Amino acid sequence: MSEVGPKELRIVGFLCNWCSYGGADTAGVSRFKQPTDLRIIRVPCSGRVDPLFVVKALLNGADGVLVSGCHPRDCHYSDGNFYARRRLEMLKRLLPFLGIDDKRFHYTWISASEGQRWQQTVTDFTKQIHKLGPLHSGKEAQQ
Amino acid sequence: MRVGVFICHCGSNIAGTVDVARAAAELRKVPGVAFATNYMYTCSEPGQDEIKQAIKRENLDRIVVAACSPRMHELTFRRTIEKAGLNRYFLEMANIREHISWVGLDKEANTIKAIETIKMAVAKVMQNKPLYSSSFKINKRVLVIGGGVAGMQAALDCGDGGLEVVLVEKSPSVGGMMARLDKTFPTIDCSICILGPKMVDVAQHDKIKLYAYSEIEDIKGYVGNYEVKIRKKATYVDWTKCTGCGLCMEKCPSKNSYDYFNFGVAPTKAINIPFPQAIPKKAKIDPDFCRQFTKGKCGVCAKICPTGAINYEMQDEIVTEEVGAIVVASGYGLIDMDKFPEYGGGRYPDVITGIQYERLLNASGPTEGHIVRPSDHTEPKTVVFVSCAGSRDKSLGIPYCSNFCCMYIAKQAILTKDHIPDSQSYVFYMDIRSPGKGYDEFTRRAQEDYGAKYVRGRVSRIYPKGKKLVVVGADTLLGTQVEVEADLVVLATAVTAAPGAAQLAEKLHISYDTFGFYVESHPKLRPVETNTSGVFLAGAAQGPKDIPASVGQGSAAAAKVLALFSKDMLESDPAVAKVNENTCVGCLKCKLTCPFGAIQEKELRGGKIVASVIETVCAGCGVCTSTCPCGAIQLSHFTDNQLLAEVNAICQK
Amino acid sequence: MSLDKLKQIITDVMKEVDVVIGYKQGFDPLHATPCFITKPEQVDQVIWNPLCVQNLASYLTSLKKKVGVIVKGCDSRTIVQFMQEGLIDRSKVVVIGIPCTGVVSVRKVLEKVKHEPIEEVKFSDDGMVIVKTPSGETKMALSEVAPDKCETCQYPTPVLYDHLAGEPITSTKDPQSVFKDIEEFDKKSLEEKKAYWEKEFDRCIRCYACRNACPMCVCQDSCIAESREPHWVSQKSNLTEKMMFHMIHALHLAGRCVECGECERACPMGIPVNKLKRKINSDMKVLFGYEPGVKPEDKPPMFTFSVEEKNIEEHKL
Repeated sequence: MSEVGPKELRIVGFLCNWCSYGGADTAGVSRFKQPTDLRIIRVPCSGRVDPLFVVKALLNGADGVLVSGCHPRDCHYSDGNFYARRRLEMLKRLLPFLGIDDKRFHYTWISASEGQRWQQTVTDFTKQIHKLGPLHSGKEAQQ
Repeated sequence: MRVGVFICHCGSNIAGTVDVARAAAELRKVPGVAFATNYMYTCSEPGQDEIKQAIKRENLDRIVVAACSPRMHELTFRRTIEKAGLNRYFLEMANIREHISWVGLDKEANTIKAIETIKMAVAKVMQNKPLYSSSFKINKRVLVIGGGVAGMQAALDCGDGGLEVVLVEKSPSVGGMMARLDKTFPTIDCSICILGPKMVDVAQHDKIKLYAYSEIEDIKGYVGNYEVKIRKKATYVDWTKCTGCGLCMEKCPSKNSYDYFNFGVAPTKAINIPFPQAIPKKAKIDPDFCRQFTKGKCGVCAKICPTGAINYEMQDEIVTEEVGAIVVASGYGLIDMDKFPEYGGGRYPDVITGIQYERLLNASGPTEGHIVRPSDHTEPKTVVFVSCAGSRDKSLGIPYCSNFCCMYIAKQAILTKDHIPDSQSYVFYMDIRSPGKGYDEFTRRAQEDYGAKYVRGRVSRIYPKGKKLVVVGADTLLGTQVEVEADLVVLATAVTAAPGAAQLAEKLHISYDTFGFYVESHPKLRPVETNTSGVFLAGAAQGPKDIPASVGQGSAAAAKVLALFSKDMLESDPAVAKVNENTCVGCLKCKLTCPFGAIQEKELRGGKIVASVIETVCAGCGVCTSTCPCGAIQLSHFTDNQLLAEVNAICQK
Repeated sequence: MSLDKLKQIITDVMKEVDVVIGYKQGFDPLHATPCFITKPEQVDQVIWNPLCVQNLASYLTSLKKKVGVIVKGCDSRTIVQFMQEGLIDRSKVVVIGIPCTGVVSVRKVLEKVKHEPIEEVKFSDDGMVIVKTPSGETKMALSEVAPDKCETCQYPTPVLYDHLAGEPITSTKDPQSVFKDIEEFDKKSLEEKKAYWEKEFDRCIRCYACRNACPMCVCQDSCIAESREPHWVSQKSNLTEKMMFHMIHALHLAGRCVECGECERACPMGIPVNKLKRKINSDMKVLFGYEPGVKPEDKPPMFTFSVEEKNIEEHKL
């Protein structure tokens, strides 16, 4: 995309409204500085994240995808993150089989009070993606 | 479709690190965007008016507000556009403050990030559908969890407000921690004297149903309609027959039962009434110590009980209560002394905790109010208080202040002098925290009028020397090492979350912080609400707090419940799952994964089986939507197409 | 197994069901085709030989009648999976199991005879296939032209049946070998794997034959690959959209694929469509000790969870 600065890579985050989205808010309120690559999509629960969203993003231009939900047992909807954990783990193991480094996809648990953990996660994941470089060569853009 | 985009400066909060004018200009180029502007404070009254006017003037039908977190102002702006005639779900917010302007220093990068984030919101809002709430009846009964002072206050206020209250207390009596205190700061009035009448009120209130010695087993449902399963733990005494005469306790031959109420200061009987003012004043057997249970024979209490209330065969009982709201006032716990072995708590009998000292001071305590050393029952002449025993100690995972220890130490120093006029108290402290009304004056009185010697510094270790304990610490004001030979050491042990706090939170679906304290909806503006509607917080379950604050929160939570119940019907959240019966193939995988049992099988007239959502039961998690292979069940407001629109807005290679 | 015994079973089963699904000779000697037997006189059409490749259990979810169905070991897992997912009423299905010594891959045979017209196909007792074409007879070992799934077959005897036509056979194939090819492939470099799939999926013509042949693809005409509501993939015929389609297919079958291989058999482009699903299955085994279509009382792992997942560790950055 034209707006992406030369230094930035495309990272998409799916964040549970009840915990990690709030954790990102907490980080904001505390002014915890973070890299700017991440774009956040708010979802009601990590259990709402169909692994296909991750695939869709990775196939269509994302260099990394982050999914963050409530800690196991703390799901606002009791069990949503338990389903998420199974589905996302399955996907994480499948990606390298397709030739996509599984480091490009991370799923984790961050609560609304964990602003610092959020900052750390964004910083570390962004670093990891930069280390891997762009996923797409732009070869297909002409199609 | 005509989308209007309103970008907020939030003073300099956003405009300081995001070029909002440029963002508005970029957004005007986006297909579908009919109007884009930036404004100083969009949430202000003129800011909201600007949106309403623009909707009319520009004929806008979808609105994007780029400002703070939707967790902050989504409801505000939903109301705004509704007043201008749009369905409230035609609003999307782009969080360019918490997620952008406050966390990035590079204005150029921030601006680009903001533009893209707003574009995502535009893409999503163009997929939004109008949604309409329906209303449902509420059950105007309230459950209060925890019978400490906060919970009792909430229960009494709700009861006085005309609501039926179910009060569940884990221990055999209400009263909580406050019932264990001797006097209260800064007035030195007797704790049980002010609490006792409240406890009696709770017992006698015709609107309050008390379940003592009971715990929450399970909670199902949603705001307005909860079904609560309560485990009434076996007391082995039929409380309908027990008169609280105490004869059983007198005759019980098992004298070494752990006294939970007195924090083990002295042993109690295996059958006991925890304290004289207990409500309900009923006996219960501790089967870990009762000879009938440990040895299989005894039966003294059964023989002696004048009403025949003893029942060794009693089992836990599960009862179900239906309520519409829940106040959680489950209190706090205290860190174990063995977390700091250098102080010797647990090894040296004369190193005790602040709450144990309260019991020694208390006239109805095991020593009848005489301060004696647990080791030899002699009167201590030198008493050392150690503040921050665990608190503000990152290495123990407790970086926070326990809030009320500075104050109760001052109180205990004063009381020590009252009880033993020739005694000398020493207080090792890090900082004196006394910011309440009359608090600082109180700590000064302890020092100036009662001669307590305050030493600013931490205690490094405590070791026994003959009958005495040597307290080794630093005086950071003098820059010297200090050693005090003490007869008794009192540790102000750190406040922790109550044992089992996390498990209770899981049942309630509320969140808790790293330390186990429950998280309020907003730290300033919604201090007793949780993010789960219908569940409110009171007292130290939310974080360490003293009595006045706990009582205040109890009343605040009650006010919230009364406000909630002031209506007969509640509006449902229409962001629930919906089935497209044309595309549903009836595989019912959604039914397998729904955490709420909100999906039923339905047969259409042609015999086709499809899934069907019970809207009042659906909580809106969307697990069904990500389960459904054919996309036939969609969570409204977070549909596949809405989320795909956001993905597509930023992922276009 | 004798054909007479099979026919006898069918005749008996006919008395309690509306239709029995079996195999009959197809349009040429190399092809068998499914047949639906509703009358006693049709029983004689029934054949059984290594050409009977189709998974007849695939029909079960769309039939409302009481059905008798002939299944090989591999096909029987489809029925078990249907039961796990509640997709069939077991009381309405009579399962006629056939212990199977292996089938042929029609595609492999045709390659051997260079796609010449087939005049006759014979099977010898010593495991040879003799195919007669205008240019003469070609002899090949059955194992040489067997589909990949037969090479590691663990269930030659159906895992579930009401009648068994023949004596049960136990597998002689090493259970450890089941996912050997998957493990080998996974050892390649990311670049190699990416290039492999780009090459394979680029050949996809999005005919959806793989999906239509799949017994577990429950969506039928509601497949999101052809929908705008929701709009997961466009009709663009580029590699990204083709890959997206195959990922949808694979992920929708996560922990459900019974590895009958119908997708690959149906693919006109010879794309190894089953490979992704088998990779997921290998992980399902590791993560949840789960194998699709083996025990009727199992729950497919993606539709359930454990509070403590023994084999899932938190990922650190």
